[in-house]
This record gives sequence, structure tokens and C-alpha cells, in this order.
Amino acid sequence: MTAAVATAPATRRAPRAGRGPRMRRRLAPYVFVLPFVAVFVAFSVYPLFFTARLSFTDWRGTGAATWVGWDNYTYLLTNPAFWSSLGNSAVLWLLIVPVQMVLGVLVAVLLNNAKLRLRGLYRVAFIVPFVTPLVAVAQIWVVLFDQRYGAVNAFLGLFGLPDTGWLTTSAWAKPTLALLFLWKTTGFIVIILLSGLQSINASIYEAADLDGASKTRQLWSITVPLLRRTLGFAVVLQTLAVFQMFAEPFVVTQGGPYNSTTTAGYYLYNHITRADLGTGAANSFLLVVLVMALSLLFVRLLRAKD
Amino acid sequence: MQRHHLRRRALLASAGLAATAPALAACGPDIASDEDAGSSSLLKAPDRREGEITIWDRSGDLFEVFEGVIADFNAAYPDIKVNHVAVDIDAKLQNTLITGADVPDGVFLDDAKVGGFTEYLWDLSDVLAPYAADIAPQKLDVNTVNGGVYGVPFDLDPGLLFYNATALEAAGVDVAAIATYDDLLQAARDYQAAVPGSAPIHLEQSPFLGQLQLEMYASQLGTSIADADGELRLDTPEFERILTFLDTVRKEGLGTRAEYLTPTDIAELDNGNQVFYPWAIWFSFAPQQVLTATSGDWRATQLPAWDAGGARSGAMGGSSFVLPKDGANADLAWLFYEFLMFNEAGYTAVWGPGDVYPEGLATSIPSYTPAADPAAPLYSGITALGGQDLWTVATEAGAQIPGGTPTPSWWAGAVDYLGNDLQRMLDGDLSPQEVLAKSTDDIQTNLVDRQ
Amino acid sequence: MADTEARTRPRIGSHLFLMLLLAAFLFPVAWALLSAFKPADEIIRSPLTFDPTQFTFDNYTAMFQDVPIGQGFLNTAVVLLFKGAATMFLAPLAAFAFAKYQWIGKNLVFGAVLITLMLPTIVLIIPLLLEMKELGWVNTYQALILPGAVDAFAIFWMRQVISAVPDELLDAARVDGCGEFAIFWRVVVPVIRPGLAGLGVLTVMNIYNDFVWPVVAASTERMATLQVVLSTLAQNITGNRIGADYATVTGELLAASSVALIPLLVLFILLQRHFINGILAGSVKG
Repeated sequence: MTAAVATAPATRRAPRAGRGPRMRRRLAPYVFVLPFVAVFVAFSVYPLFFTARLSFTDWRGTGAATWVGWDNYTYLLTNPAFWSSLGNSAVLWLLIVPVQMVLGVLVAVLLNNAKLRLRGLYRVAFIVPFVTPLVAVAQIWVVLFDQRYGAVNAFLGLFGLPDTGWLTTSAWAKPTLALLFLWKTTGFIVIILLSGLQSINASIYEAADLDGASKTRQLWSITVPLLRRTLGFAVVLQTLAVFQMFAEPFVVTQGGPYNSTTTAGYYLYNHITRADLGTGAANSFLLVVLVMALSLLFVRLLRAKD
Repeated sequence: MQRHHLRRRALLASAGLAATAPALAACGPDIASDEDAGSSSLLKAPDRREGEITIWDRSGDLFEVFEGVIADFNAAYPDIKVNHVAVDIDAKLQNTLITGADVPDGVFLDDAKVGGFTEYLWDLSDVLAPYAADIAPQKLDVNTVNGGVYGVPFDLDPGLLFYNATALEAAGVDVAAIATYDDLLQAARDYQAAVPGSAPIHLEQSPFLGQLQLEMYASQLGTSIADADGELRLDTPEFERILTFLDTVRKEGLGTRAEYLTPTDIAELDNGNQVFYPWAIWFSFAPQQVLTATSGDWRATQLPAWDAGGARSGAMGGSSFVLPKDGANADLAWLFYEFLMFNEAGYTAVWGPGDVYPEGLATSIPSYTPAADPAAPLYSGITALGGQDLWTVATEAGAQIPGGTPTPSWWAGAVDYLGNDLQRMLDGDLSPQEVLAKSTDDIQTNLVDRQ
Repeated sequence: MADTEARTRPRIGSHLFLMLLLAAFLFPVAWALLSAFKPADEIIRSPLTFDPTQFTFDNYTAMFQDVPIGQGFLNTAVVLLFKGAATMFLAPLAAFAFAKYQWIGKNLVFGAVLITLMLPTIVLIIPLLLEMKELGWVNTYQALILPGAVDAFAIFWMRQVISAVPDELLDAARVDGCGEFAIFWRVVVPVIRPGLAGLGVLTVMNIYNDFVWPVVAASTERMATLQVVLSTLAQNITGNRIGADYATVTGELLAASSVALIPLLVLFILLQRHFINGILAGSVKG
């Protein structure tokens, strides 16, 4: 039915038989992408241009906007709070991505063994956190890590450890948030790495076995190098996610204590709550540029090694 | 319920994907379109007496109190239907005002936040004129921005010294002798000597409430973060004195550091470790509804003075009602608030005994002086305070609150600086002087200069 | 895929490691689901125990009374239905055009899609909100459904999947006289079914769990999705908890979180094979 719609213009324009199918084939992709492009332009491209213009004004959501040139950008770039928000995101990146990659490779390699008992159970269990709604688990995190009534401190107390202010001290808030992120997304990374492992030819390992290479040796000298592109993909994916992180601090810590969990994304949100929309827009662009630069950097690094 | 008073462009009415083209044709933000800067934002009292108003309140005890008052309002205005909604105002108001969709006619708002929204609000100077002379000056100050008044003042929240009378008496500490903050320090030392391990004075750990309490102390001294022109006046001897007091409490180990009425705080109140709580009158909520072991042991008195003979109270927090310009029937909402605040039947229904508070709304007093008459109490004996007549204590304290303490529009934003720095001082990481210098600098750059 | 899986039975250490990890991964969810059935006071008094004799529905009863969670489910269901259908149909269709046709502007548009992948959601919040205002869509289902109706990641992923479909298959269909859409519908869709199943689960998950945009776009309770309802409840415990009874709120929160968790958990466990295989089919190969 829809096919008839798609081909109608072609038949009108090409009266001669025989040219119809080729014409249709040339026009088809335009028809296929049109709905997507319409939604995309209306709700992604247009707002992006709007943001660009907004970033050069001092608009506060009402009244007239004054053109302020690069003011918002210089304000941010000279503001320690802006840099500390990037610093917070960078620390979170360090706490998350390396740990996640090491853990991910280990688990994926173990799960890739067909002889592993309970393999199906593990695969499902590790991805359960990824499926759960963030708002719900973030709530659970708040309750679990409560200093006075949380299960975590109760558990540590069994070993005589003192209560820790997981979410109320600057020293612990970031690791606690990183733990939430690790818990929530590591299963997904495992599955991605598993897909990479499955395309490695088993005969390589057989040869290594014959040469007497130990399993640890094989992991480092065969698996990791061959998994490089998949790992790279995972690193880029998680880098984007960490630098965009917003909902986690929004629900769990509201950026505190002392802004220690004010991530790049959460700092941006602060401008919006203060109706400082121009600065918010400028901050958006700085963040987009940073995220793109980081992604390109990782892609480059991985290519260079090829 | 749903009222779209937005002008939809005819072309866009078809919605869906067709929206793309016209949206693009507009090509860039339509930023200044719907606001003619010159238009008057002065609310006029309406001639009509019928319609429907939407009123936003925070969920919780006050929502229930106001819900109960609607019937009284309708007795006076039978043709105004009140659509009363419980809303997370902090989360929703900003976006609702920006988009102008489903805007309520009246909103309950923290005094400290009124200044941030004035561009969206009716200036109430005209309708409030007949009552202005009888409203507590501090409440008019906090609602006044550039000569306009943007909120109908609701409650007056005098700071009081709450204390655990039973525990203090057992320790032999005489509260009646506390006239200055130096006396308070001494009383705390005495209590600690009698009850080893106790930390008698509350030190607030939430940056927002800590800053609010700081303003209470400052209000006693007749000052605030910024003056009427929005100029900072933080780096002054008054603020240094207050911070030095708090720092002394910390240094001598006399303070219990906790967030207001969180589980830790409640536990320390109920076990007798924390016996002095210099706070706004709304702390009375705790003995009435939260504390278990020590409910009935608490009493309230006036705050100590900074200098002998100085003001024995300052204002802390409080709320007002604001009327958004985009609310279709904001003028009728004014009639609602006028009835609640300035009509005897109204304020009696709000503060007098009711379903929610059988002994009356003893967590604040009216800001309208005729309603806050010491001789005509709206509530009196409070069981949770051992039957104490809180009305008299509060109205006498309220009458002493100095004026001249306006709230700048960026007050809530300052919590990131002053509020946080104050906490760092209580951590022992900053000195009072450092807090004032650093906060002044940060607030100037990030808030004052960017208005 | 050739059997490339490792060769020896894993040692006891590996099992121990995996078991520990398993416990850590399941504990928070299991703890929440169980604790929601404890008396509210017990949740905070002894968070590590579970006494079956004290089993109670009180938290659920209180939660259903206080929280408009039914309305939240209804709104989420509506959004899920329309937005999900749009993504599941339009994303593979567009991806088909990217993967199997040459057309003017293809690289430009695809580049734009890639850039969108890097945009933090929150960047577009304000302009989108103002756009909704201009359209008169604030607090409507359109506002919740249309922005992001065709996810950039879905396009990117489906393009990977469809690229793997052999061209010969398409040409053979053309020889048989199939129209271009018929090729998509009758040839491509059946072939990529595993990938589509994966996309389906991921899409349901993304829409169900979406939070940042709905919280801004729906300012009235009437339009609040499940996640918005949850986050509002959460404010009682994290933000404005002044005077709130910590135990009661915690109990209600755990009950609400459980209610929000369960549908997705059930769906996932039923469809996990498709989901995992879908991701395996779609991701970048080493």
C-alpha cells in the first residue's frame, strides 16, 4: 500500500515503460528518509540553531533579548565553576571507564566459554541493571547509601567499620555516583565485548595453546589486541555517556555536596534553573565541542594503532 | 482543566510533521515577540465576582490547611470556583512561566524566590495599598523589587530560641538568664559539663537552610546580604560577628551538625544531646508532629540579642502568594488571597484551630498586624510545647523584627557560594573572614554582575 | 558465526568471581523488591534483615493512595505505543535508505545523525520547550511523543544491521518485480528480524525509562509519565524532606520503584534472548 504512494510520482514523470523501476529506485530513498528527516529537522536541527543564536544573548526567558556577543562564552571560560564541572566529569570518567573496561573484558572472556555452567543466568543477571529505570534505581541508591539508615553502612558495620557519609561528603559522593553508573551500564558493555569476542577465530587460540602460551598471556597478547575496535567503540560510547551524565546527580545528589558531583551536564542545568538561558546555551555548545573532540580523539588513537 | 490560551498559528494547527516548514520559516528564536516592555504590569482589583481560579500550593500540611479554607472563601464569594492543586513548585514554576502554558492564577512561593520571577508577575502595589501600612515591614521588603510589590505576604516567621526545658532544668541551666548570644554560649558550655558527650546547639548542615538561618541572625542586626539597591553588604562587621559566633560553637564542640529534621537531627533532639535550636517559629512543627521522646519537653522563647538590649528576634524564611501575569484569572486570585490574609473570617480560618492543626497553625503568625494581635490570639496553648502560649511569645518577637532587610532576586542562587562556604567553615576549612571575602567575590561575579 | 568460544572448563576461581559479581549486580534490585514488603520502620531500622512474619502490603497501599502512579502508567503506555511505533517503523526505513541507496545529501544527513548522537539531551531542552510553546503543545501527548520519535542511535544501529543484508537478495526481488517499499517490507524486514527484536526491546526500554524531557515537557500531573511521578516522589526524600517522615517516604519510594521496575524486568526476562542477540548482531565487530 505504502509502496504505491512511494512510486506514484515516478510513474507520472516517466511515461515510457521500462524507465519506471529505475526511476522509482532513484526516488525511493528520498521518500524513505523523508519522515525521519522531517522529525529530525523539526526537533533536533532547528532547536540546535536556536541554541546557537540564544548563546549570544542575555535572554532570561521573558522580555527582550540583548545581543551580547561572546560574553557568555568568555564568562564561562574564565569561570572556575565551569572548569570544576568539567573536572568533576573527568574524575568520574577516570573512576568509571578504565574499571569498566577491565571488568568488561574479564567477564566477557569468562562468559564466552561455552562450557561455563549457568552461562545463560549470568548473561541475563549482568544486564538486569541496564534495563531498570534510572530514576527507580537512583532512588534505591539514595536509600541504600544513607549514612544513618542505609543497608551499605549496616553491612560494613558488621565488620566494625564506622558509618560513612557516602552521599554527604565530597570525598565519597563521586565514587558512590560512579558505582551507580558502573553497576547500571557494565552489563551492556559486557554484551558489546562479547559480540567482539565471537568474531575472533578460535584457531588463533588453538595455535597459542600448541605453543604453550598461558591463558593470561593469551588474554593480553591475543584477545585484547584483537578486541581493540570493539573496545574503542565501547570507550567512545561510555565517554559520551559520562560527559553527558545528568540524571544520576540530579536524582541522587543534586550536584552536591559542595558541587562535588556537579557534572558538566548538571552545571548546564543550573543555568536553566536560574533562567540564565543565554549562558546555558553557550555552555551547551562548549560541551558539544568538548564531547565531539573527545570522541574524535579516541577514534584517532585507535586508528593510529591499526 | 486544560486551557490553551496560546495563539496557535493557523498553519500549525494541523500539527504533526507539517509543523516543520513553518517552524523553520520563522528561522531562529522568536525571542522578544510576546512581551511589550512598556505594558503596565500593575494589577487592578477586578469588578467581576465570578470565574474559576487555579491555585498552586506545596503538598503537605499547608496544602491541607488552605484546602480547608476554600469553603470559607466560597461563603463570601460563591461564584469563584477554586481549583486547588498540590504542585512541586520549585520544579514546575520556572518552566510553566517560560512556556506560558497552563499557568496558574496564584502560587505559593518562598519569599526568597519571589525576586527571581518578578518579570512574570503582577505588581501588586495598587491592590495592596489599603493594607500596606498594616503589614510587617520585613514582609513588604522581601516582596519589593524596584519599587513594585510582587507577592501578597503570607506568614511572618520570627526567629525564636527553642529549647528542651526538661533536659536543661535537669542539668541546672537557667534559660531565663540567656539574654545575649554570649550567654547562650555559656549555657551550652554548662549543659555540656552536666551532660558529657552532648552538643547542645543546632548547627545547620543544609546549605540552603544554613544561609536562611544566617539571614535570621542578620535580620536581628537590621541587615541582610544586599541592600535595597542590590548592593552586596556581606563583608561587614555584622556578618563577621555572626559567623564568628557559629565558628565558636563549632570550635568548642558545642554544636550538633545536622540537616533540619532529617533522621540524624531528630535522633539527636530526642536523645537530649541537642537542646538549643535557634530557628524560625516553624520549628514548632517538630515537637508537634515529628519528635517522640521529647515532645512536650520543648518551649520557645525570644532569641538572645547580639548586644544587651538589642532586637530579640529576626525573620527567617516565610512565604507569599504571587500572581502570574499569564494566569487568566489572576485578578480573581487576588480576591482569594485578600480574603485569606486581610479578612477576619479568612485569617481566622487559616491560623485558627482546624482539621489539620487542632490547636491552630502554630508554625507561623500572620504578617498582617491586625491579625497578629497579642490580645486576640488565633491560637494559644500548644500541648507539644507543654501547653505554652506560643502566640504571645511569637507576636511579641515578631513586633521586634527590624525592617530594611530586602531579599535580592538572586538570593537562592547565592546558596552555591555563601551557603556552601558557610558549610565549609563549619567543616573547619574556612575562617569567617575567608567566607565573607570569598562569597562576596563569587556572588558579585556570578550573580550581581550577570543580572 | 563459527564456534570460536574458549576451550576449557573454567576454574573454580572464575566461578567465585562471577558469583560475587552476580550478587553485587542483583542485590540492589532484590533488596528493593523485598524491602518494599517490610514495615516502613523496619526498612530503616534493620536494612539487612527480612522477617517473613512481618510481610506487609502497607507500603504499597500507602503509595497507591498518595502517588498518582496509575496516571503515570497510563501516560507512559500512550507514549510508548505511539513513539515506539514511530521508531520501529521509521528508523529501519530511513536506515534502509542510508544502507542500500545512493542519494544526494546522504553523507551530509548521516553526518548530522552522528553529531546528534553526541548531543547531551539537556542541550536541546530549552529550545525544544520554546518550540513546544510556539506550537501550543506544552502539556500534550504530542510534546512527549514527537521530539526524539526517531532516535539517532536507532538509525545508526539499523544501518549497521541492514548493511549486512546481501545486495543480491534485493536485486533478486527487483527482478521478481518487487517495488522498492515491497523490497523493504518483504525482504529486508524478515531478514533483519533479530536486529529488530533487539531494537524493539531497547526502544521500549529507552522510552519507558526516559526522564529528562518528560519532566520538563509535562508540567501537570495529568501528563506526568511514570518516571516523572517517581522523581516527584523522590523529592520528598532527597530535596524537600523537611518534616517528611523518613521511614514512610522510604517505604512508599521502594514500593513505587518496585512497581516501576517489574514490568520492564518481566518484559526483559521474556525477551532477553532477542535483546542480547540483537545487540550482538548490531554492534561493531573486533
